[in-house]
Amino acid sequence: MKLVLENYLLIFCIAITACDCNVSPYLKIVNVDRLIDISSQIVKVTNKITFQNAGSDSVSHFVFTVDPKVIDNVAVIKGRISDLDVSLSVSEISVENRKAWSIKFENPLESGKFSTVDVYYAFIDYLKPYPTKITQNEKQFVKFIGNSYLYIPYHVSKVTTSVALGTKNVESYTRVEPVSYSDSHILYGPYKDLKPYSFHEIEIHYENNAPFLIASQLLRKIEISHWGNIAVEEEITLEHTGAKLKGPFSRYDYQREPESGLSSVKSFKTVLPAMATDIYYRDEIGNISTSHLYNLENSIEVELRPRFPLFGGWNTQYILGYNVPLYTYLFTKGNNYLLKMPLIDHIFDNMVIKEAVIKIILPEGSHSIDLNLPYNAERLPDSLHYTYLDTIGRPVITLKKTNLVEDHIDNFELRYVFPKIFMLLEPLLIIGFLYILFLTIIVYVRLDFSLSKDEDTEQKLRVCGLCSRVINFEHKKLKLYQSFEDKLSALKYNKDLNSFSVNVKSFNSEYKSISAQLSELIAKLKTESPDIYEKVSELLKLDKQLKEIYSQQQTVYVEKLIPGKINKASFLELENGFSKKKEDNLSRINKLLKSIE
Amino acid sequence: MWENIIDNPTGWKKLIIFVILLLAWIAGFSSRLFAVIRFESIIHEFDPWFNYRATAYMVEHGFYKFLNWFDERAWYPLGRIVGGTVYPGLMITSGSIHYILHSLNIPIHIRDICVFLAPVFSGFTSIATYFLTKELWSEGAGLFAACFIAIVPGYISRSVAGSYDNEGIAIFALQFTYYLWVKSVSTGSVLWSTLTALSYFYMVSAWGGYVFITNLIPLHVFVLLLMGRYSHRLFVSYTVFYILGLVMSMQIPFVGFQPIRTSEHMAALGVFALMIIVAALKYISSKITKAEFTFLFKLGMVVAATTVFLIVVILTYSGVVAPWSGRFYSLWDTTYAKIHIPIIASVSEHQPTTWFSFFFDLHMLVSMFPVGLWYCLKDLTDTRVFVVLYVISAVYFAGVMVRLMLTLTPVVCVLSGIAFSLIFDCHMKEEDTICKEIDAEIEKKKTVEKVKSSRKSRSSDIQRNDANIDSLGVNFKCIVIVSAVLILMLFAAHCTWVTSNAYSSPSIVLASHSSDGSRQILDDFREAYFWLSRNTDSNARIMSWWDYGYQIAGMANRTTLVDNNTWNNSHIALVGKAMASTESEAYNIMTSLDVDYVLIIFGGVIGYSGDDINKFLWMVRIAEGEHPKDIREGDYFTERGEFRVDSEGSPVLLNCLMYKLSYYNFGELKLDFRSPPGYDRTRNAVIGNKNFQLTYLEEAYTTEHWLVRIYRVKKPEEFNRPRVPVSNRKISIPHTFVSKKTANKKKGLIRDKPVKRKVQTMNS
Repeated sequence: MKLVLENYLLIFCIAITACDCNVSPYLKIVNVDRLIDISSQIVKVTNKITFQNAGSDSVSHFVFTVDPKVIDNVAVIKGRISDLDVSLSVSEISVENRKAWSIKFENPLESGKFSTVDVYYAFIDYLKPYPTKITQNEKQFVKFIGNSYLYIPYHVSKVTTSVALGTKNVESYTRVEPVSYSDSHILYGPYKDLKPYSFHEIEIHYENNAPFLIASQLLRKIEISHWGNIAVEEEITLEHTGAKLKGPFSRYDYQREPESGLSSVKSFKTVLPAMATDIYYRDEIGNISTSHLYNLENSIEVELRPRFPLFGGWNTQYILGYNVPLYTYLFTKGNNYLLKMPLIDHIFDNMVIKEAVIKIILPEGSHSIDLNLPYNAERLPDSLHYTYLDTIGRPVITLKKTNLVEDHIDNFELRYVFPKIFMLLEPLLIIGFLYILFLTIIVYVRLDFSLSKDEDTEQKLRVCGLCSRVINFEHKKLKLYQSFEDKLSALKYNKDLNSFSVNVKSFNSEYKSISAQLSELIAKLKTESPDIYEKVSELLKLDKQLKEIYSQQQTVYVEKLIPGKINKASFLELENGFSKKKEDNLSRINKLLKSIE
Repeated sequence: MWENIIDNPTGWKKLIIFVILLLAWIAGFSSRLFAVIRFESIIHEFDPWFNYRATAYMVEHGFYKFLNWFDERAWYPLGRIVGGTVYPGLMITSGSIHYILHSLNIPIHIRDICVFLAPVFSGFTSIATYFLTKELWSEGAGLFAACFIAIVPGYISRSVAGSYDNEGIAIFALQFTYYLWVKSVSTGSVLWSTLTALSYFYMVSAWGGYVFITNLIPLHVFVLLLMGRYSHRLFVSYTVFYILGLVMSMQIPFVGFQPIRTSEHMAALGVFALMIIVAALKYISSKITKAEFTFLFKLGMVVAATTVFLIVVILTYSGVVAPWSGRFYSLWDTTYAKIHIPIIASVSEHQPTTWFSFFFDLHMLVSMFPVGLWYCLKDLTDTRVFVVLYVISAVYFAGVMVRLMLTLTPVVCVLSGIAFSLIFDCHMKEEDTICKEIDAEIEKKKTVEKVKSSRKSRSSDIQRNDANIDSLGVNFKCIVIVSAVLILMLFAAHCTWVTSNAYSSPSIVLASHSSDGSRQILDDFREAYFWLSRNTDSNARIMSWWDYGYQIAGMANRTTLVDNNTWNNSHIALVGKAMASTESEAYNIMTSLDVDYVLIIFGGVIGYSGDDINKFLWMVRIAEGEHPKDIREGDYFTERGEFRVDSEGSPVLLNCLMYKLSYYNFGELKLDFRSPPGYDRTRNAVIGNKNFQLTYLEEAYTTEHWLVRIYRVKKPEEFNRPRVPVSNRKISIPHTFVSKKTANKKKGLIRDKPVKRKVQTMNS
């Protein structure tokens, strides 16, 4: 509910600012200090403007315009109170059918008061190389055409324009007195009492070897996994838009002379979030092995070297990806989530992005998506993305924006609802799959799918089964004998006939039950395989003999030893005879058992 | 109940077999991953790049588009009908894996499927080998064989991750077909022989080596007939297999009508006819007396043999049946290719095998397999005849061509598996004499009862062995077992070492170690290919030697003139001629072929021995084959018959296009402080022709280590030749150079270096 209300408020605010388009006639500009920085490929202009309200009513805003020549190249415009880091709200309006911006003062400017404001704007794709083609060893020169005054719908009392070139090598510049040239600066002005919309063209032809590198295409994918990871992947097409390379490229010169190929781009640095891990740098034919990683205090810097140096007119393409832990950008309350991360990120210093497409892939099952952008961007229709183990697909939010510069690195806010139960969906899928797999294997192994019965093998299997059961029973019997043996020896020492007779009883009953089961099995075996039946009956014979021995031993014990009717020597003799017989018998039984196996 | 399960010996046995096979699979798979771990998941070498490109095309455009694919980016201006000149089994296999995974929402890139296909199939191969050996001998032998084939270098050489080639899946198909064939011979069931034919069909779709099957199986049948081992089982399995296999193999567009029209396939047909005749005679013999039959038999044999022979000869001469192809001839006459087809001889894989490489690829298996062979011969059955023939033919072919080592490897593994299984069988038996007596009694009874099954005779064979072994002492047995285990361990170590050092280089990415031990990656090939793909016109035509055709098409996606599918010898010769002529003559050829860029490989800076100058003589030879008037191999040698690039080298060589493109601007380059400028590290010489300029070409790009150099061919209006005033013009009569090498002395000498190596390593 609160969210909706906020939205309404926002729309309301926009509605109010939308009509802030009138140029107040009472607003005067006392002083303007302009700094035009043309040392890189972007033209950055900072205007320090001091306003005075000459009227009687307070004025809440002022209108800012730029030269009609550059108006389409303006990428960003910002306002703030001079020397304070308080930014002012800027909104785009239209004045006399031309694009303009309305900037609000922090507090409405009272009558007679002064206010100093910094208006910063940058425009791209404006500096033109001249000559447009150079050879490998030549330096790059560019032309800048600008305004020594300020193009604004107010009366300006005084204006000074300083142009920072970043080089001492200037071919020519327009002289509008007073003008002075020092070091790497050209100072125009001060000029006084200028009418609204005053314009005086200046042209500067100077050396500029800064990389004229633009990202003509950026596809940024942000994939959120609630298992703790945000995967970011950027697919970038880079183009060198400076003076084109004329003639051959000589590797010899390029390696030997440091002056050769000054305007070419060998490498550049990309700043990634400090938590970024698993960084990869590749293109469509594989990994690009020439990159370096530097861990800085609050960021990671990657030095990327394209496969080949970029000369004017050359282009390349690469993919840079990394993972960020979820907690750096995702905030949660119950099932509600808030993703707050930069819409675009740094690619290289003084970067220019011609066209950026940003895709935000949310986890499967999230809904009620609400997006809040730091600046306007075209939102393309949502789509679905399928990846490992997805069933209903992940919602994808796609945004598109053209002409971006570093000042556009700003956070977006994305709210969505994700029921936590969906986390279990994928493990359950795997469990279900394995369950069904094992079940089918079990069913397949247990059931017979053959059309005709194969009597031979079936009989073999049956016999095998019977044999193993026989062996089992025989082993049990052997164990019984063993325990009987123990009891006999116990009897020898404690001479406790009572407990012994109890034991004998239990032994006999167990023995009987096993024998009964065995004889049942053997009856079956007789019909199945006479071959093995022979062996088993031999086994039984041996077994009977063994039993016989034991019972003899028992009688000797019970009737002779315990009453003491026998002397030691003859007892030992008997005992030895028994044990020999037993051993002999046992070994034969064992052999038979092995042969049955 | 639980005791029951644990004591169940069959269950344990199955589990152990399963676990061992699984481990063999895992071991085989992981030992093939050296290249992926050291470098990355990338397609290797040359041919795999075409296979990958074709697979990617099929995945993108669908199967029918792939079958009808006319590739206009290859063999400019001829183009190539890919669908009809390719064995599609490989592409279909990985394409269908891709399809299945993607329909399950598993988004694996087709490249990764291609990279890991061969290692995965090596697992299937070891399972197929297990079954084959089990069918021939026993389960234990099967497990040994499966483990051997999983790691043996002879097979790994063609199936490391990234080596996306036909052989990777074909060896599996080969082994599986043989297993099914053996199975069908021993059962005589139509089901098994149908399966054999199906598996054969897969093999045909995957590799040209299917000819091996079409000749080996008939040979097996033929030998069985000669041995008087005809049976209904044999009749059923061969006739079913032949007819089904024939019909199915003709479904592959590339094979088409070959199975009934070429000599390679005629043996199968002949044996089929023979089989029918023998069956007919057998039937008749049951109806008539013996004397009549003998007469009929002799007559029938003579008539049949002569008619078949005559028909084949007549058909061959009338052109209905194609004669043997050149590659096939070179299998019988090892010098044939050298004389007649230099392009076949120029490939290092087609050289005869050295003794060294037998040991290198098979290690101790090469000495163990005769033992297995001996035991097979000692106790011959229908199926063992097959393995005997298999190994004899494979040994022969492996001796002829390095590449065919691959067909020898599986059968060597099978036989060595049998040998090792026997060794362990004999020496690990418990000392249990009484038990043995009983066993022997029972076995004897059994053997008397039914002798027909082969397994029984095997066990009696073991019995005999046991009788011999009884006399051996425990210590002796221990020593034998320990040494056998030691040998096995050495084998495993050797396999890993060979795989890691010889067969795991992607050859696209090179690695060298600097003096402090850190690894340096040289990625020049991809640098150049990617430069081509980004910064040239998408229809630009690149001229390079044919080795790099597939890579250019695969990585740079540009049109090439010649590539590794060497179907048009004269086109290759034309490129060779351009490389071997002077710049202006080459320019004429290049303009007539619409060449935009020339790409050459130059290893002089880093000492890479597989570069174009070292391959240059083959270019010359191939060009000479087609243009004997313009190019003579002798011109490129010095008077003493040496091939050298320094100032003493032949002037023809020093002024040809390849030389100039390789050494352009190189004359001033000082590599280090010790060597003079223009010092070629590969050939260890200072180059002879320095400081020349190019007129018709300009350097377009050279990679960081100069490994790949790309030149742009100038358009006619771009020549910027300074005008020389008439008064200053001098006509100099060039010093005519006559080489003492004549056409008769064909063989030249290259100083220090071999012409081309399969294993390309860094010298730096």
